[in-house]
Amino acid sequence: MTLYVGVALVAAAVLLFIMQPVVRGLHASLEREDDELTETEARKRVALLALRDVEYDFLAGKLDEQDYRSLKSELTAEALAALEADEAARASDGASSDPDVEEEIARIRDGLRSGVVCDDCGFTNEKGSRFCSACGHALADRVAR
Amino acid sequence: MKKNGRFMVGMVGVAAVVTYLAWTGVSEAMVYYLTPVELMQRVEADPTFHDVGVRVSGGVVAGTYQLAEGEHLHTFVVRDLVDEATTFAVEFRDALPPTFSDEAEVVLEGRLRSDGVFEATTLQTKCASRYEAAPEELAG
Amino acid sequence: MTLLGEFALWISLPVALWGMVLGFAGGRTQRGDLVLSAERSIYAVFGLLAIASAGIVAAFLGDRFEYWYVANYANRELELFYKITGLWAGQRGSLLFWALLLGFFSSIAVFTNRKKNREFMPYVAAVLQTVLAFFIVVLLFAEVNPFQRLDFTPANGRGLNPQLQNYWMVIHPPTLYLGFTSFTIPFAFAVSALLAGRLDARWIQLTRRWILTSWLFLSIGIVMGMRWAYLELGWGGYWFWDPVENASLLPWLTATAFLHSIQIQENRGMLKVWNMSLVLLTFLLTLFATFLTRAGLIESVHSFAENITIAMIFLGFMGAVLAASVVLILYRLPQLQSENQIESFVSRESAFLFNNLMLVGAAFSVMFGTMFPLISEAITGTEISVGPAFFQRVNFPIGLVLLALVGIGPVIAWRRATRKNLQRNFATPVVMGLVVAAALWSSGARHALALTTWGIGAFVLTIIVTEFWKGTRARARIEGEGYVLALFHLVTRNRRRWGGYIVHVGMVMLFMAFAGAAYNVDERFFMEPGDVVEVASPMGHTYELRHDGLSVNLANGQRNLLWQAIVTVSVSKDGEPQGLLTTEKRQYTTQDAGSPPMTEVGVKSYPLEDLYLILSELEDLPAAVSADSDAQGLYLQVLVKPLVGWIWFGCLILAAGTVVALWPSADRQRRASADSVEPAAEPAVVAD
Repeated sequence: MTLYVGVALVAAAVLLFIMQPVVRGLHASLEREDDELTETEARKRVALLALRDVEYDFLAGKLDEQDYRSLKSELTAEALAALEADEAARASDGASSDPDVEEEIARIRDGLRSGVVCDDCGFTNEKGSRFCSACGHALADRVAR
Repeated sequence: MKKNGRFMVGMVGVAAVVTYLAWTGVSEAMVYYLTPVELMQRVEADPTFHDVGVRVSGGVVAGTYQLAEGEHLHTFVVRDLVDEATTFAVEFRDALPPTFSDEAEVVLEGRLRSDGVFEATTLQTKCASRYEAAPEELAG
Repeated sequence: MTLLGEFALWISLPVALWGMVLGFAGGRTQRGDLVLSAERSIYAVFGLLAIASAGIVAAFLGDRFEYWYVANYANRELELFYKITGLWAGQRGSLLFWALLLGFFSSIAVFTNRKKNREFMPYVAAVLQTVLAFFIVVLLFAEVNPFQRLDFTPANGRGLNPQLQNYWMVIHPPTLYLGFTSFTIPFAFAVSALLAGRLDARWIQLTRRWILTSWLFLSIGIVMGMRWAYLELGWGGYWFWDPVENASLLPWLTATAFLHSIQIQENRGMLKVWNMSLVLLTFLLTLFATFLTRAGLIESVHSFAENITIAMIFLGFMGAVLAASVVLILYRLPQLQSENQIESFVSRESAFLFNNLMLVGAAFSVMFGTMFPLISEAITGTEISVGPAFFQRVNFPIGLVLLALVGIGPVIAWRRATRKNLQRNFATPVVMGLVVAAALWSSGARHALALTTWGIGAFVLTIIVTEFWKGTRARARIEGEGYVLALFHLVTRNRRRWGGYIVHVGMVMLFMAFAGAAYNVDERFFMEPGDVVEVASPMGHTYELRHDGLSVNLANGQRNLLWQAIVTVSVSKDGEPQGLLTTEKRQYTTQDAGSPPMTEVGVKSYPLEDLYLILSELEDLPAAVSADSDAQGLYLQVLVKPLVGWIWFGCLILAAGTVVALWPSADRQRRASADSVEPAAEPAVVAD
């Protein structure tokens, strides 16, 4: 007797549990949450992480100065591209920007803006560089933008 | 695309080395895996088969295990798992695996001597959780 | 209760099928109500499987021998503990246990994602239900139902083989199954990503953590199996290249490959097809592992008797999964194109690629060697198997290359390494490696493979220690922190990287331990009470062992024991007393009268080696058992196993490193500002 009761209870509980959404129209969300990582944001993170790693490796003595500078320029350009892409995506999404990130973007932009473009290969070098990190060409004193 | 070309070469090279190792490994470690019935058939067909190292799987016949005292010589009879009438005696001189029992399923490596006794160099037994008794055996 | 359990198992099938259909439908139509129902059905299936499992346990506890499964694995005298764990003692129960764990992980996957990753979840639920339904179908229709009853009720069961009555039987299957079943979750996410077309960076983050968790469980499961074999089953051996052992290694190899190649995708947007394939393949290989064990097609000490029904059902399902995976990947190929190319042969990308090549190469060859009997039978008509020599020949060189890469990978630069970079970072470690090898050589070691392994191991350890040292020092200087605090912050700010290094240390220890087997010592002595024997160890120690007497216990059926013959040995090492070791012979009531007694070994573990004693034969067994005090002569086998302790210790370190890598950092909760933005002058490494 108790067996039949048990069986009935279990069956009823299961049925109710799984049928309720369909019958009563309860919906699970299928939307992406606001604070979830988007593709561009993920790219940006990776780019910033790579930049940080380069800083760190240099300070820990794993990279010598030349490698550090060339890698840093390359990565900075990529990071900037990622940042801009993310900003564009956010603007179209209407999402608000984070003040910390804004600051970061501004800082990187400034660094590049005051840097020097090489005549030979077009590489954007840090301000104050006398030789291009990418191709070694002597740099004229000219501002990037 | 030139860079990718060099990679392909590198990868193919590594694959070639691994394949070579596998090939020689196989020839080195290759051994026939037979049932007692197959072993007996081969030996009948080709007497030189007595010298070939083989692997055989079968079941120990209950009640046949004996330890020759002071000699580390274990003897027992192994039967084919399907055709229970086909059997042969086994001699084994090393330490028995801890899982060995009177009704175990075993895997032997060695050779079948001309006197009909299988001289085993390696003996493995099946994990104890793999034996399942048929319903009849559970009665009483 | 057991009948209720049986009922629960039966209705879990329609529920699973319902969830499967609704999951796919909900994903297609984007209807939230269908999806909610599908997700709830996952919880329902888990609940039902839990009831079913409880039913089996209840049958064991109640000595219900009319159940075939209970009669086979228990008897009235069996300890309570083993009655409970009888659930996974045999084929049928362990299948149910597998399904239960799968239900458990599926529930976790659904629960932790009820507010995020919502676009994935419909298909995730659908795929999980498909796999669950498969296992339930096997349980119900492949003649492996644990609820099957006999026509009669035996008075008593066969009892559990005494060999299984130790805590390893309790630990090894569950840990292994935790690993195997949890790989289904990343598989479900991968398929879901392919179906939904969401193949971007979010998928990577999600999958990586699950795979790392499963990898941790699987690693522990495999090492637990090795420890069991070492202590109970193999006279101090811990790996035999047995088909089922190999099968458990295959998903481990592909998962390890994935954990590395995914970093290339994260950093450079490459290898997308490769990574996706690895995830799908890993799941397929877990199915293959259990298939091999249960279908009994390949002779193995672990496999059950041949069961063609199971073989066919599994092969069918695996084939379907393989076909579906291939179709899905081809369908999404355009979205899986690489964004970059590898720039240099000498770069971190290249090292990771090489690592993958080695791991997958090892997997292929292990698979090939394992399947060889079937292949040869198909081609030549005769079964030919390949012994351990094959696996060693192929895998030892691969292992050495992998070991070297463990050191090279972290230090070589991304994209392209310059000569300066190489010189700077590799000079000292290479020297250390050579120094260690030379030192070992001069102390008498001549085994080429072992020396190479230890030399490379020293190379890798030097690199890892240097990494920690340089990082800690840099941070301490700049942040003005003490070294301990600096180290702590260093690790917690980039857990993936430093956790990974710790895992590598564990792996290196494992490899070096394996090489220690080259110097195993194996001697046998005949001893009477009072006799002392000496055994020299390769590490330069001498062990003096004295036979201190053989004592016999007549147990008369208690705990299924007939009698025990225990020899006590006093151990001294280089003249210093070390205490006592015992090793014994036992005869159980559940053994046939003609069976030889079982042996329990005695082991003393030291940091550099294990002393392993085996009572191999009693000189006069009948006399000894009748407690004849003159019959205490015996044969004692003494093994010295160098570095074996490093396996277990290395596994612990590996587990600790994985936990560090997995540990969620507080920043993960915060959003865009989580990349704790600090001025570039500081070596601030961003939390993951």
